[in-house]
Amino acid sequence: MDPVLFNVIHVVVTFLFALLFLMTAAALLSYLDRKVQAYMQDRYGPYHYGPQGILQAFLDVGKLLLKEDVKASATDNLVFRLAPVVFFAPVVTAFVVLPFSPYLTAGALGTGLIFYVALSSIDVIGVFMAGWGSNNKYALIGGLRSAAQMISYELPLVLALVGVVMLTSVLTAGCTGNTPDLTTCGVGSISFSQIVAAQMRPESPWLWFFLLQPLGLLVYYICGLAETNRSPFDLPEAESELVAGYLTEYSGLRWAMFFLGEYGNMAIVSAVATAIFLGGWSGPGAAIGFWNGLLGGFWGGLVFNIIAAFWFIVKMSFFLFIFLWVRATVPRLRADQLMRFAWLFLIPLTLVNILLTGALLLLPLDTPIRIAIAAVVNWLLLIGVVFSLRGITGVKATGRLPRWLRTQRRTPQPAPLPGVSPERAPAGAGAGNRR
Amino acid sequence: MATESTTTSPDLVGDFGGLRSEEMILNMGPQHPSTHGVLRLVLVLDGETVISCTPVIGYLHRGMEKIFENRPYMAGPRYIDNADYLSPMINECAYAGATEAIMGVEPPRRAQYIRLLVSELERMASHLVAIGTYGLDLGAFTPVLWCFRDREGILDLFESLSGHRFTHNYMRPGGVLYDFPKGWLQTCEAWLDNFERRSLPELEELITGNEIFEARTEGVGYIDPQQALAYALTGPVARASGIQIDMRVNRPYGAYREIPVNIQTRQEGDCFARYRVRMNEMYEAVRLCRVVLDKLPGGPISVRSPIALRPPRGEAYYSVESARGEESIYMISDGSEYPYRAKIRAPSFVNLQILPELLRGNKIGDVIAILGSIDIVLGDVDR
Repeated sequence: MDPVLFNVIHVVVTFLFALLFLMTAAALLSYLDRKVQAYMQDRYGPYHYGPQGILQAFLDVGKLLLKEDVKASATDNLVFRLAPVVFFAPVVTAFVVLPFSPYLTAGALGTGLIFYVALSSIDVIGVFMAGWGSNNKYALIGGLRSAAQMISYELPLVLALVGVVMLTSVLTAGCTGNTPDLTTCGVGSISFSQIVAAQMRPESPWLWFFLLQPLGLLVYYICGLAETNRSPFDLPEAESELVAGYLTEYSGLRWAMFFLGEYGNMAIVSAVATAIFLGGWSGPGAAIGFWNGLLGGFWGGLVFNIIAAFWFIVKMSFFLFIFLWVRATVPRLRADQLMRFAWLFLIPLTLVNILLTGALLLLPLDTPIRIAIAAVVNWLLLIGVVFSLRGITGVKATGRLPRWLRTQRRTPQPAPLPGVSPERAPAGAGAGNRR
Repeated sequence: MATESTTTSPDLVGDFGGLRSEEMILNMGPQHPSTHGVLRLVLVLDGETVISCTPVIGYLHRGMEKIFENRPYMAGPRYIDNADYLSPMINECAYAGATEAIMGVEPPRRAQYIRLLVSELERMASHLVAIGTYGLDLGAFTPVLWCFRDREGILDLFESLSGHRFTHNYMRPGGVLYDFPKGWLQTCEAWLDNFERRSLPELEELITGNEIFEARTEGVGYIDPQQALAYALTGPVARASGIQIDMRVNRPYGAYREIPVNIQTRQEGDCFARYRVRMNEMYEAVRLCRVVLDKLPGGPISVRSPIALRPPRGEAYYSVESARGEESIYMISDGSEYPYRAKIRAPSFVNLQILPELLRGNKIGDVIAILGSIDIVLGDVDR
């Protein structure tokens, strides 16, 4: 086949796949969000349209598309109308770099990771525009909160991925052995395809990076929750405090774009976590050599890609399920606790992680031993963080200040008052006074 | 943005190196998801910090006390149901008790025990709503559904007892309206078993040990005992500050004179203590219900009294411990068919008065946390 035509088909197919997948995933996720939560809460959730109410999500989208376009008169027209687009466009674009399978990667950019991080930080502009343009005080507070939140959590999110990039610098071809070729592997890869490939090298096909960087996964996932404004970090749209936050004035199609964008964001965070920490599309049966030998070039590749995409989506669903699970379990943090958690806990933790991983990977030892030491240290760090955080630092995971940082002490309590002695009401009738 | 500046104390608005920052006036409510009804809070904000708060009430005012003056005594319980609509049975106890006190009538022992049983069930139902919606206020969606699931059992029990799920119209001056239908006591016992063995531990697991919940509630909205006394707080809000005030213990009425109550207090005085007091009161209510089911005496459920009741001239002040505090009726009879005056001392109304002082200097998120922990019912505030 003509290689140019082949490339065009490839781009069209993968981009259509990404767009369709985004739309379906967002709609299905909104359905699953309600259904999974419903079962955790002893109720049925959507039930009426389609088997188990599965058509509810699509009907909801249809309803939103047909709704009247309501706009308050005092809004900042341009900003108000532009905000949903600014929010939604990066989500669609970020889907392009996700490696669903070797073929279903529209743009296998060499800078995939940076591309994703850059796009995910554009979202905050959309949210802030929505908050400002609505001319609504709740929306404004929501927009300000989200700006603060997303910028703060952007840092640990990126820093959490650095450990993995350092690992790829050791694991990619030419970097293994006692005398690595420093000209080719001084820096690790930030391409999603390369990172996935590094997790399924022939010598260690099941060495997924969550085994080597569990702390990175934990921090990344927590920041992902914050990036997508999901519980417990859903302050920008805290319904009990700010009515609907920056979404207060939105309805109909514009609201639907925020809505789809949010669920799309969840899908992207899960997909990135899958690609980077859970071995991407590797899984039982996802071996191209076997299928090519069995069915020939085209059909073998097709079957292989379907299986690979299947495994990718399965792993992604696992992360998505945790999104929903967390939401059904925990309350929401307060704004100051949220910021404290990011700046005083997550960022130092990721910096320590980078320092330790980097130092251990430079040890003058065999590559497998170096990696094993780094992994063990990472696991110990994770366990230490999870179990003895309160004891060691005094910083609760929820961001209470350690004693030395606390300025405002609680007022000391006076001794409990003696109880009022129980005076017995006169037994029998007529407690009232006759006039 | 329409912002207005007001004069505020300089220590609350930081001086950001000469940068002038304007306060924002935020009108929270009366239509807001978590002001627990139609409360309106006019908040003056500096960023996220509350500088001052003015509660505006009266959106649910129905002239209830005036209505009493134009209705026979027997019709009163139906109207007072709507005052504190989360614990109607206890309100009815207060109304019926006040009327009985003027009449000089003591309801039969069985009626008193039934009143205690339904009061304690209603207390559990009300605390379940309080705790569930408190979770909702803090952003957790699951507790409210679990709590309402359990509350549904109580409402079903009340429906089969009185014919109404919500505004029961069950008490009458001189006793209660119906005796238990067949099998009611067994259903009630089964519900209590299920509630104590399954639902309460589930709630404890979901809420009590949750680190975020603790971080949001511990040390937030602290009321010291002197403050609580000065504001005449009653109910779980006062007991969480270490004040031992409980009408069931201090001035026992009805069957509480025979069945002693363990008063539930905490010393911390913060939102978590108030939550904890409510949880402990639910355990205590389960115990009281079991005692009543064991000791339930036989006999009539009501004294014989005419429907057109004409109590003698006189007045009475009758207090019961509602789920929110001291719920009292001050009733004056002029000897006619209608009360001359029936004044409700509403615990929500009194407890709400401390809110502006508690909110000052807190963040917006805490406004909801503190308001939820006081647990007001706007029907009770406005009447």
